[in-house]
Amino acid sequence: MRLALHLSELIHAWPGQAPLIRIDELQLPQGQHLFIQGPSGCGKSTLLSLLAGVQQVQHGRCEVLGHDMRNLNSVQRDRLRGEQMGVIFQQFNLLPFINAQANALLPTKLFPSRAAAASKAFGSPVRQAQSLAESLGLSALLWQQPVHQLSVGQQQRVAAVRALMGQPQLIIADEPTSALDDTKQLEFLDLLLETAASQGASVVMVSHNARLADRFHQVYVWPTKEAA
Amino acid sequence: MIFWFGFAWQSAWSRRQALALVTISVAVSVLILLSVQQLRDDARRSFSNALSGVDLIVGPRGSATELMLYSVFQLGRPSRNMGYAGFQEIQTMPQVRWAVPIQLGDTYQGHPVLGTTATLFTEFKSQGQGLSWAHGRAFGNPQLQVAALKEVVLGAEVARRFGHQLGDQLVMTHGAGGGPEDTDHEDQPLTVVGILKATGAPIDRSVLVNLETFEAMHQGWGLGISPRALQAAQAQQIVTPDAKNLEPVSLSAVWVGLHNRSDVFSVRRKIESINRDPLMAVMPGVALDELWQVVKVVENTLVLVGLLVAASAMLSVAAVLLVAMAGRRKELAILRAMGVSPKAMLGYVLLEAVLICFLGILLGELLSQGLMWAAQDLLRVQFGVLVQPGWPSAQAWLSLGAVGIVAVLASLLPAWQAYRLSLVDGLHPPTV
Repeated sequence: MRLALHLSELIHAWPGQAPLIRIDELQLPQGQHLFIQGPSGCGKSTLLSLLAGVQQVQHGRCEVLGHDMRNLNSVQRDRLRGEQMGVIFQQFNLLPFINAQANALLPTKLFPSRAAAASKAFGSPVRQAQSLAESLGLSALLWQQPVHQLSVGQQQRVAAVRALMGQPQLIIADEPTSALDDTKQLEFLDLLLETAASQGASVVMVSHNARLADRFHQVYVWPTKEAA
Repeated sequence: MIFWFGFAWQSAWSRRQALALVTISVAVSVLILLSVQQLRDDARRSFSNALSGVDLIVGPRGSATELMLYSVFQLGRPSRNMGYAGFQEIQTMPQVRWAVPIQLGDTYQGHPVLGTTATLFTEFKSQGQGLSWAHGRAFGNPQLQVAALKEVVLGAEVARRFGHQLGDQLVMTHGAGGGPEDTDHEDQPLTVVGILKATGAPIDRSVLVNLETFEAMHQGWGLGISPRALQAAQAQQIVTPDAKNLEPVSLSAVWVGLHNRSDVFSVRRKIESINRDPLMAVMPGVALDELWQVVKVVENTLVLVGLLVAASAMLSVAAVLLVAMAGRRKELAILRAMGVSPKAMLGYVLLEAVLICFLGILLGELLSQGLMWAAQDLLRVQFGVLVQPGWPSAQAWLSLGAVGIVAVLASLLPAWQAYRLSLVDGLHPPTV
């Protein structure tokens, strides 16, 4: 069984402070979705930075998509993220100076392997973007619009399209639904997870909102300070 | 790479107001630098070309630069004259191939009137080429035919400016025109008999008459006051003057051409040792060098000012980009999330700064060429400087290169900031 994530004895601390992250063992099979639940400020975002390879792992084991992140230098980690991961933020995911479609196509412009994967599966990156937009319920009319004319929900969908472009193996989502209305949250989440699953991608999502947890294969509840 | 060009351009375009202003400031600095250099180059070339055929300029002892300026470039006015006898003596020297007297003082519509002899038309060279005729012929020899006293030859620029043609009657003005003692030589209208082809030399802006014609116009003029004003009745008695009596007492300058240029030092010594009149013989090249030495201070100051303006323009580019960087942390984080490394981020911001500076330099170059093009008539007519708008000279390229290097150095500041911020912020820039 291929693992999207394999963490063990992972410890991360800011200099001179008590460990912020301490994970004994966590395995996520490829294609499954992981929900990390915890209060804000507990270190969830730092964990995502470690998984995404933006920060260097200090102690323990952190394997992402089969790569031991401690053995990769920063350039290799950036490359791994660019070629095989998609990242969705809480909001402000899109660059304001290009339109929705250009935002969605960015990963395929930055990394030829993503463009190649998109072309292989859909014929061309533009075709994949259209297909993903359709799956995520985005109207084609919005495609050429400047980003600031889109609603927050529409922006998050464009961000999801972008994250899924070029068949990445892992989607990292940091509170992607918390800027949405309650009713829209589940709708967006279901579409995101479904579309990711259809591509065989794993989703790792952090949120403080426990209500969303039942949509995921695995749930990791962040240990409270007392428990740690 | 092509993607990054377009991408950086789109990002910059979204901040176009501030960036347009700094681009213009770069353009202005480049405009100053290039214009100063081009004017200097063109002025030097025009000035040295204008003198290519003259081996010595002779005039009353004084400032060599001044003598050259008024006698060749018609800039400024002679303050003293030399005796006519000196000219006659020079003419008889065996090494001298030709000597042309130059009499100055009158103007026609602001253009200097040159009293001289027809020898000028055959011997004077400009840009290495002799004079040739657009229309008509040289004025005649008044010693042989009195009618030649009424003849005038126009430089190309004068004819063009006033649309004069052969046969037109012109009235010269005494002095530079405009002053209280300046009066027209209304009683002595002259007929255009020849128009010279354009040479690019100051002679284009001149009106040429016989030395005797110059004298005739001034007969009876005492202290520069019109005889009519003094003694109207007497003036009317002036009938056709006798050319034989029109030999001038003094001259403004003499241009000398030698059979053999290597004689220039001995001839100069000989001229300067003529006893009755303290004369000075100047080699135009040497005098020009002296002039450039004087002008150099001004030139260098202008270049320095240009460089300082360029440096401050570069600093303003850096400052504007640096200030903008705070607002672009989100943009950096988004790119970082998509796998763009901090080093690539550095390159991305650097590219933007370089694009701005390149645009500024291009704009400055176009502006300077446009300015030269627009001002070329004025420069030619007023200063005798023939500007040649076109591809920048080697030295201009050098200063453009210098500006470019400074631009890259200045751009390193915001680029480094982008690198640092994208490292520090990672995926989580502080929310503003």
